[in-house]
This record gives sequence, structure tokens and C-alpha cells, in this order.
Amino acid sequence: MKFIKFFVSLLLAAGLTYIFNRPLGALPALGKLFSPFEGFWQNGGSTSSPDELKLEGIKEEVSVTFDDNRVPHVFAQNEDDLYFTQGYLVAQDRLWQMEFYTLAASGRLSEVVGERAIELDRYNRRMGMAETAKKIAASYKQDDIAFKILTAYSAGVNAYINQLSYKKLPVEYKIIGYRPEEWSPYKTILMLMNMRNVLNGGSEDFRMSNALAKYGADVVKDLFPDYPVIESPIIPVGTKWDFTPVPVPSVPAEIAANPAAKEGALAYNIAAPAPEIGSNNWAVGGGKSATGLPILANDPHLQLTLPSIWYQMQLSTPTMNVYGACLPGTPGVTIGFNKDVAWGVTNVGSDVMDFYQIKFKDKTQKEYWYNGAWKPTTMLIEEFKIKGKSKPLQDTVYYTHHGPVLYNHASENNFAKNVPIGHAMKWVGHELDNTDLLGFYYLNHAKNYDDYRKALTYYKAPAQNFVFADNNNDIAITPNGKLPLKWKEQGKFILDGSNPAHDWQGWIPADQNPTVKNPPRGFVSSANQFSTDPTYPYYLGWRFAPAERGLRINERLEAMQQATHDSLRSVQNDNFNLEARRLLPEVIKILAADPRNKGNAAYETLVKWNMKNDPYEVGPTIFERWVKELRYWVWEDEFASQSTTQPMTYPTKDRTWDMIKNQPTAKWFDNVNTTDKVETVQDIVQNSFKATVDSLTAKLGPLNADTWAWTKVKSTDINHLGRLEGFGRQDIPNGGGPGIVNATSETHGPSWRMVVELDKNWPKAYGLYPGGQSGNPGSPYYDNMVDKWAKGELNELLFMKTKDEKSSRIVSTTKVIGKK
Amino acid sequence: MPYILIFVASAIAQMFLPWWVIAPIAFAVGLVASKSASGAFFAGAGAIATLWIAYALYLNVSADGLMLDRIGNLFAENLKFLKDMPFTVSFFAIMALIGGLVGGFSALAGYQLKRLIK
Repeated sequence: MKFIKFFVSLLLAAGLTYIFNRPLGALPALGKLFSPFEGFWQNGGSTSSPDELKLEGIKEEVSVTFDDNRVPHVFAQNEDDLYFTQGYLVAQDRLWQMEFYTLAASGRLSEVVGERAIELDRYNRRMGMAETAKKIAASYKQDDIAFKILTAYSAGVNAYINQLSYKKLPVEYKIIGYRPEEWSPYKTILMLMNMRNVLNGGSEDFRMSNALAKYGADVVKDLFPDYPVIESPIIPVGTKWDFTPVPVPSVPAEIAANPAAKEGALAYNIAAPAPEIGSNNWAVGGGKSATGLPILANDPHLQLTLPSIWYQMQLSTPTMNVYGACLPGTPGVTIGFNKDVAWGVTNVGSDVMDFYQIKFKDKTQKEYWYNGAWKPTTMLIEEFKIKGKSKPLQDTVYYTHHGPVLYNHASENNFAKNVPIGHAMKWVGHELDNTDLLGFYYLNHAKNYDDYRKALTYYKAPAQNFVFADNNNDIAITPNGKLPLKWKEQGKFILDGSNPAHDWQGWIPADQNPTVKNPPRGFVSSANQFSTDPTYPYYLGWRFAPAERGLRINERLEAMQQATHDSLRSVQNDNFNLEARRLLPEVIKILAADPRNKGNAAYETLVKWNMKNDPYEVGPTIFERWVKELRYWVWEDEFASQSTTQPMTYPTKDRTWDMIKNQPTAKWFDNVNTTDKVETVQDIVQNSFKATVDSLTAKLGPLNADTWAWTKVKSTDINHLGRLEGFGRQDIPNGGGPGIVNATSETHGPSWRMVVELDKNWPKAYGLYPGGQSGNPGSPYYDNMVDKWAKGELNELLFMKTKDEKSSRIVSTTKVIGKK
Repeated sequence: MPYILIFVASAIAQMFLPWWVIAPIAFAVGLVASKSASGAFFAGAGAIATLWIAYALYLNVSADGLMLDRIGNLFAENLKFLKDMPFTVSFFAIMALIGGLVGGFSALAGYQLKRLIK
């Protein structure tokens, strides 16, 4: 009896301890997680920095001052110490996030979250990001500047990781149940690969090929033109090209592979370039500013997440003093300013991802047809460790000289539903140039326009519009990066992988990338629109971001005099809807003729709307929804975007609105699915409007200024990067929209807003991002900038002249010294 | 007495050792110092529960409850009943239960071993 009592109590004690010490299904180890001595309770609050920090690897004393927004201002005496300290500090605040990006880019998420990430992992691995990063990391020589920076940064990150006990782990590791790995230069390159993918990784090629196969070249030329009706290109029209162009490859007889010739259905699933990934930047020259010197602004639009994609820092050595937004995991400042210059980036929307139809000799895929002969593929076996599975999964990837074959056979759950089967991807993201980091390194050091031009020669991908201003009163903008030298419309459709004329034939010479310095209009700007008008001698792509943001920015800047940082801030927050200004006069006439709209509240609201996407307007709720509906009504019958067998893409909004205005009798307005009736533009406009109002009413109830308010319907969310519920911020009150200068959509938006007033002595800068410096969800600095961001306000940035500068905003200073 | 012993010893030990060190400590105290089965159990359960609650309370207050709020919402997404009461109630209860059960049964097992070998 005594024995049984002992045995039972022992069993309970040991059993409970065991159970609480290991994950239970989806639940993490509860004992570990709940123990106040090491669990999540330990992650609350903000960590105060010690007065002195001893780190092995620091050579000379480094001073780190934290301001009231938890921005570290690092003053080092040499570059190794600077980047070491940057790595350490970023890891301290953002370790989980930076490792998460690298796990995603290298297709290893399944290792920590299990089987649900396997399709995403397979896709990312097949895209070859890990493979490319590995080669780039291996290509450095010991004395390359970039390698020294990468090594010092990695050492700093690892110095932080190595002293981490379970108790101090970021809470996400505790919840998901894993530990950080060692950092390395390879991981930083993965971060850059991640940006290449986010910014340059999308394709419409397959959908366009389907349209070409169905309707022929004339229709495609008419409906999918290579330049929009309305545009205000980045390089102002009339700018001279002061170079002698190199010969452009001639257009081959066949410009596309025929998708119908390929046996079997194509799994079309690569994402189209995300229209919400875009950005604004501009600089006004001294002639337009109150100070007589340039003012520069930038707001990159990315997916909004917590922790935020940006981290603010000041980095200083005896030869450099720079402040700005850094990408966690990446040394240096990506968007920022120093005493003399400021710069910013937006994405170049040129077509740098093409697909080649591959004719394999047989099912083994060991050889493919190219230039009249069989050419061998290279085989790579990718292995995936999956959490919760004892056996790793293997996936065979075949590489052609174009690039990797994305999917070999159709599968329901292939992650990117738009990848053509048996199609090889040619992508600028696979380029092995290893100097991108140096582009930013030299911008961080730049003192004038010449330094800016030199810095750009190092930067290759993803191509960006680099805006620039300095205190010599120079402003400039350059769509810059490696741009393939293409024949006209090369890669608008699926290319023929067997035809050498379809290969990329080299690059546009870097010094012939479009650029403009001090244009007569007194400002430069970009919003992802066409880089140039059609006079530029090279083909860059047929579709860029819609023109509205760029047009609106340019008309605001055109009218601007005596500009201050606040005038530029107001442009960043401009909610005016240019598309409404273009389209409404045409369609309101048509709606007015519809008797159903007599006394219709939605119609009345639209007529009276001030055409601003302000948060508490109802107009944008109706208009934005209607624009989608209207395009669907015009095009879905002929260009089925949702088709599983032959998906296509709609003609652009620019083309559609022009058709409504100038070709009201076009046959495309007829709905081909109704055989008894020929619809006119009137029918389509009126009925799509009715459908819009009906569906909004069904969802929101009868029209009401509160429930139909734009901000509530749009509902911007900033979710946690790892999608942990409760770790994000929902329903943020703001206006804007995808085609608005204030480009805040449901999930994307200005991820960093910056305005810099250049000055002969010391610049004044303003900025913030929708998040906070700390990546710790339990810290008050996790999301402390979100409310101010939603209101469109900016923080004045503390840009210290020296480490000893006094400021009431300084909270603490840490002396970092070497450990013997 | 066993209560205080477990409370103090496990407070010190947990500074350096994983959370499960509470089990051997409670076991040892139960073995050496407990006088009855229920006394052992309640000393073990009570000591760990109060220790954890006290320390968690301190951490939670100094963090303005931010972390608890995040974790609470995360769990509540799947366990809807957690939304029916304040997280301060439910999470302190769950925590006390986890620590208390382990501490209580460990101390009890220690005491039962004493009975067995005496």
C-alpha cells in the first residue's frame, strides 16, 4: 500500500514535470513558458542598457547613446567596431525577425513551424535564393570591403546570440520552440535575396501568353500597350539622353512560345508583381524651398508587419556620420542622410523575371532542346527537414542555362499557383554580383553628387530609383541597377527556351541607366511609374505601377514654392484620388441617366464626394470597390483572371478608363456570356455600380457615414511577421489607398516616412515607421510609433554631431569595450 | 516549515536552473521535512504557486502587463473561454496550477518515499 502511494505520487510528479517540459501538440512547453523565472513573463518591459558592456571582438571603445525613441547612436573609432556594434544592437532588438527572414528566403521555415510551411519552402528553395546567396557569400575575397563589413556585423550578431540564455530569448522562440542559429555573411546575403524577391519577384508572362494565344497579336497590342495613355515618367519628358546607345538585339520572328503547343496544362501560379509594393520619393531643389537648399522625402511601401521591416540608427566613425533606416540583418543604413547628402529609394518596376518554356528530351529531364541540340540540365537535390517528421523531404530541381525549372508537374498545393510547369525562370535575382552592399556603404559616406554617382555603380539588384539631394544644391534621380538588354517586348510573354535569340543578351550599360540631375522643373520624383518615356533607346518593360501617385506628386511639387519639411510631409499624406478625378466625370454622366439612381444615397454620396480618400469619407468606400467591380464587369468575360485552365490578366486601368472615355462603343463592353443581349458601356457602368452598392449594403447595412467610413472598410492591419495572433495591431484609423500618394492599403503602406532638409551646417530630418525600435512584443517600444504614423505625423530625428553632444532626448549611454 | 524551505530553495535555484528544478527540491523537502501527506502536498503546491504568482506579479506590473496582454490574446485566439475573464485571472491561475501541481505531487512523492523506507 505504501509502495503504491509512493509510486502513484511519484508517477504524477514526474509525469507532470515531463509533460509541462515539452510541447503539447500546437502548445509550447507550458512549464517553461509559464515559469516567471524563464518564461514569457521575463520578456515584458523595456530592457535598460548597461553603463558598460564588455564584448570580445571590440578593438577600441565604442559609445552607444539611446534616445527617447530607443534609437541607438553609435560612435565607433573604426569600421570593424562600428559594424560589429550595429550587428550586436540590431540582434538585441530584432534577432527573431532577422532570422525569420533568412529562414523564409532559404526555404527552411518547415524546420521550425512544421509541415504547413513546406510548399512555401519548396517554392523559395526552387527560386534558388539560398543557392545564389551561398555563391555570393563564397565569392568574397578576404580583403574586400564588403566582406570585412559582413564579417564584423556577423561577429556582432553572434556576440549577442552567444550570451543568450533561454530566459532572455525573444518570446517568439519560446512560443514556437526553437533557438537561434549562428549568424554569418551568408545570412545577410539571404536578407538581400529576400528584398530581391519582394521587390523584383513577380511575373505576368504566363497570363499574357494566354491572352496572346487566345486573341492574337493585334488585340494584345491594342489592349496591352507598351506605354500608358496618361503617364508622367520618372525622368521628365524632354530630358536628353547624352550617351551613344549600344545596339539593341533585333526582335526575332517569334516573340513568344506558344502555350498551346506545350502538352498538358500549365500550373500558373507565380504571383503577379504586387501592385501594392511600391514607394514614393522626391527631392525639391533650392529654388522651391524656404531654406534655398534641397529637401528630400522618401516613403517605401511594403507589407506592414510588427516587428517593422526598418530599424533606425545613427552610425558614426571618424570618416562617416550617417543616420537612417536599416534593414535588420543588413549592415549600414539603407535609406538616410548624413551631414551633406540625403538619399532614398523606390522600386524600379522593370521586367527582370522571365519564363522560358523548356522542351525536355524525356521524363528524366536530364536534357533539353536548345539551339538545335540536346543540352544537359544540372540536377540539384534539395532537402527539407520538417519539424515533427523523422525523415527529411527531398525535392529534385533541374537547372537549365536560363535558370531553375520551377515545377515539373502539376500539384494542387504548389505554393505559387502561377508558375508554369516545366518552365525555367530567368531572374535578375540570381545574378552573382556581390557589391550591392557597397552601393549603400558609399552612399553612407557620400559628400556630393559625384560620390552618389560612384556609389550607384556598385548597386545591382533589385533595381531601385535612387533619389538624391545634397547641400551643394544638387538634386538627382536614377533608376539604377542591372537591367537586361532586351529586344522590344522580350519577356512580355513566355519565351522559347530552345531559341538562343530569346536569351537575355547582356545588360544595358550601367552608365546608360536613365538619370537626371537638376531638371528645369526644380524637383525630381518617383512612384514606381515608367522610368522614361518611349524615347529611351532600351526596352524596360510594358507595365509599371499605375501613374496616379507619380502624377499627383508631380502636380503638388510643381505648384510648390517656399517648401518646408512640413509641405513635403503633407504630400506624403496626400489622399487625393486622381483616378476618381479622371474617371468620375465620364461615369457619373452615365449613372445620372439611370432612373434607379434617383434618390439613391450611394449615388448622391459619390456625386458630392471631394475625391479624397480621407478616413471618414464614404465616397472612397464606394469608389474603390466600384473600380474593382467595373473592371471585373468589363473584362472577366473575355480575360478570365480566375480561370484555372487559361488565366489571363486584365488590361490596365489606364487602358480601361481610356476606353470608357474614347471608345464607348468598343466590343469589349459586351458580356460574351450573355447570348441574348449586347451590353453597352452604359449597361456595364450602371449595372456594376448597382452590384457594388448591393454588395456593400449586404455587408455593411444601409449606407451610413459611420459603418461605411473608408477607414473602417479598408481596415489597415499591421500583423505580426510570424502571424502570431494578438501580436499585431488591427484596424488602424487612416485614409489613403493603393493608388493614392498616401499608399496605405489593408496590409501594405508607407513602411518608413522620411523628410530631410539639407543644410550647409547641419541637416534637419524627420521620420518614423509604423512600429517601434524593439522587436519585443512586451516592450512599450514595440509599436510606439504606430499612432503617430496613422495620423501622418513625423518625429524630429536626433542627429548627433559628436558622441558628447548634450540633448534632453538622450536617455542613456553605454560604453562598449573589448573583453580580453 | 516545509513551505518556507521549498519557497526559498526553489526561488534561489530557479535563478540559475531550469524551471523543473522545483520538482527535485519539493521532493527532497517532502522527504526530509514533511509530517503528513496533505501537509507535504499543500506545502509543495502552495510554495511554488505563491512563489510564481509573487514573482510573475512583480514582472507583470513592472512591464505594465504588456507581455501578458500579447500572450493572452494569442492563446485566446484558439481557447475562446480565455476572453471571458481578465488575463490576470486566467493566466495567473494556469501558472499557479502548473507550478502548484508539479510542486505538490513532488513533495507528496518525497513524503511517501519517507513512509516507504521508514
